[in-house]
Amino acid sequence: MKTIFEKLNFTGLEIGRVQSVDEMTVVPILGGDRGNIAAPENVKFQKTTNYGTMVFENKDEFNPAIIPTNIMARGRGAQDHAMSGSAIVLKKSSGTFRNACCIEQSQGGYLNGAEEEDILPIALRKKLLSQKLRNQCSYNKLWEDIRVWLKGLHLTYSSAHLRYFYDEPNVKEALENFSAEFEPVAGQIGALIMFSGVPVGIEIMPSSKHWEHHWKLLIRGCYGAEMLRLKLLKKLQPSALVLPDIPDNSTPDQVMDILEDFSLHLRKEVLPILEAIDVKSRKIIARDTSVSMNTSLVRTTSGGGGDLITQNNVPVYVSLVL
Amino acid sequence: MTAKKVVKIDSGILQYIPKGAFYEGTDEQFSRVRQMWNDLFTHDRLLFCLTSLLNGSGFSKGAMSHILLRNPITGKEVLPPGLAFGYESDVIMYNLKKERVPRALKNLLMLTGTEGFRPINNARTRKIILEYIFNRSTDELDSLTINFKSKLKTLVRHALGKQNVFKILNGDTKLFMKWIGRYNKDVLPVFFHLFDRQPTTSGQSTYYKKIEQYWKLRTAAQNQDVAMFRLLMKGMPQRTVIGFRNTYKVPIELSEIYEQAKTSTKEKIQLESAAKRSGAKVKVNYKNQELYDLWKVFYYKLINNDTENIDKIKQAITDQYSKTDRIDIGECVVIIDASKSMVGSDQRPLHPFLTSLCLVTSLDNVKDVFYVGGKLIKVGAEDDHNVLIPANGTALWRGLIKAVKTGVENIVIISDGYENEVKGMFEHTYNYFKNNAHKINILHLNPVFSADAKTGTVRRLAADIDPMPLTNYKYLETELIFKRMINHSASVKKLLIQKYQKLLGGHQ
Repeated sequence: MKTIFEKLNFTGLEIGRVQSVDEMTVVPILGGDRGNIAAPENVKFQKTTNYGTMVFENKDEFNPAIIPTNIMARGRGAQDHAMSGSAIVLKKSSGTFRNACCIEQSQGGYLNGAEEEDILPIALRKKLLSQKLRNQCSYNKLWEDIRVWLKGLHLTYSSAHLRYFYDEPNVKEALENFSAEFEPVAGQIGALIMFSGVPVGIEIMPSSKHWEHHWKLLIRGCYGAEMLRLKLLKKLQPSALVLPDIPDNSTPDQVMDILEDFSLHLRKEVLPILEAIDVKSRKIIARDTSVSMNTSLVRTTSGGGGDLITQNNVPVYVSLVL
Repeated sequence: MTAKKVVKIDSGILQYIPKGAFYEGTDEQFSRVRQMWNDLFTHDRLLFCLTSLLNGSGFSKGAMSHILLRNPITGKEVLPPGLAFGYESDVIMYNLKKERVPRALKNLLMLTGTEGFRPINNARTRKIILEYIFNRSTDELDSLTINFKSKLKTLVRHALGKQNVFKILNGDTKLFMKWIGRYNKDVLPVFFHLFDRQPTTSGQSTYYKKIEQYWKLRTAAQNQDVAMFRLLMKGMPQRTVIGFRNTYKVPIELSEIYEQAKTSTKEKIQLESAAKRSGAKVKVNYKNQELYDLWKVFYYKLINNDTENIDKIKQAITDQYSKTDRIDIGECVVIIDASKSMVGSDQRPLHPFLTSLCLVTSLDNVKDVFYVGGKLIKVGAEDDHNVLIPANGTALWRGLIKAVKTGVENIVIISDGYENEVKGMFEHTYNYFKNNAHKINILHLNPVFSADAKTGTVRRLAADIDPMPLTNYKYLETELIFKRMINHSASVKKLLIQKYQKLLGGHQ
């Protein structure tokens, strides 16, 4: 059977050593760099020029940049924003995206740079899988979903301010602690993320440099935030991971064998999970012919989906919430 | 009857370093450390004083000296054998002399009311300030005065009072001899210089060449005499030269000053890259640098693919290693966490990992060292340098099994306590060995201390292994002593008196 990566035409990928902390498991995806994509440090969020309009700048001299799916920018005294999907910005230029979402309902003002960046939590990303909603140029299109997402968390106010969640001191500390638990490994370009053994996301960046740059935004802002919310709402199953028994009187060498087997077993278990993820549809939603890049919206049979970007028909980036 | 207060202290009282908001009185951490200082002082003044002989931060020692100096000695205290009546002043002076001069002066300035401390002025503070400044050779004093003019001025004025300063400046030699001349009768030009009066007679300045040069340099700067300025700036402190250049707008390139003016060896290593950016060629003497700074510059250079002077730095590390006083906790093996998180924060990159490398050199009797995680990188034109850098996930259990296999009981683990391949696996493995008649004694040193960590507390690896927070490798002995401080006061006191005798010469 083919894994989801093979179904999406990714090649040269390997599974790294499984990292698991409490209910969250991060399976590193290892592989070589792919495509000619701008270095992440050359790309930054510049400003909002109107409610619902985000501007990114790509200073790279040679290559186009990929703006990761649903990246959000937060800053004081201005309306926080998030992208409705991923985006491409050509070399040495700025890209203006008018279908972005305001994520701070009653705050006025335009952003000039971001104080903090994150990726939207899973549930909100799933809402933006609707192509209609995604393309809609309406700054308030996510407010109702944000309000629902925040419901039950007992935050001080009830408006659709995503910032209430991220700024709440206990949440902030928990997210920082949580992201510190995981570490990017050498050659890592992506990850499969699972909650209590259930896959919730697949991320692949064009290079390990891109992964190093963005992993914290994903682990903290997207997956960590969603997991913390589910825990607060008591909707998350406890971790099912059971450590192996070590028989009495085992020698250190035997202990090493038992634990290495267990570690290997965890990696092997990932394969059927990757094979079980199926693509329901795949549709090109944006073509940047000058750089031979296409963006496709992928939908999975489990009701999830996300963006797949190819360059010269070779996949270089994917971000799926499952 | 009131119950005896339980004293809770930890080595934070010696390791504390104020940062940013910590200067504010309301800061929680500062209040907590201040409370611990006061608790230990009230619990046992002698123990409090002798504790400051252990390695610690300059700031903490300054604060502890401040507490000692603001509380008068009654003279009724019974001193244990080995200590003389003036031992407190001896300890304070010893600590001041052990610090680098800028830190020592900051500690003295605490007595004037800086860094959030109350000003104190009494016979003991006066003696300590004046003795520290003036009881030194002419050459030392010449250079001290040039480098720290305004700080010294503040201190001398605080110690003597404005009235006495005025009298000495106006020729009261009796007063001068009483307070200052007792240490060195030839220091009047220094005194004049500190209070911004150019020493008048040519004969006076002959002992103080740098002071004379300072005044000439200043005149050259005022007169915009670039040629003379260029000539005189050689060997003068870089800060002074840059100060004159900027104040009097002397048209001279900054890179020229970086090359010609003088900096301390510590400053030199810090300014190396800034000087390089300005185009200047600066020669750094790595021999006298601290081990931590050497490792730091070694890693920074290699990570940036700069192999210039790498062999010199390697040699300096080896030399420092051979000079380091090592602590013997018995035969041990060391596990170093080299996973990605040991790279540290953006504010102090690589700090946990560099501290780990230094900690290994502080231990004696190390049978083996095991690294967990990490990645080898090759640097240089011909890949001639192999360097291990923090990378990958954390599987400390692998290191533990390797350590147990050596058969050595004492296992030192240097780790931030975060474990992810998978979480809980270390404790699982440790519990197995512990419950299966393997004699192991684990010492967990954690270089990611809560005061530095954004995320809060020091992490533990297993329920019954207390982590020992260590942000500086020099504090290892301090930490080991503090673990026994309150419950074994008598034995710790004995140990500290021995240390006092060894360091300061004792009274049998």
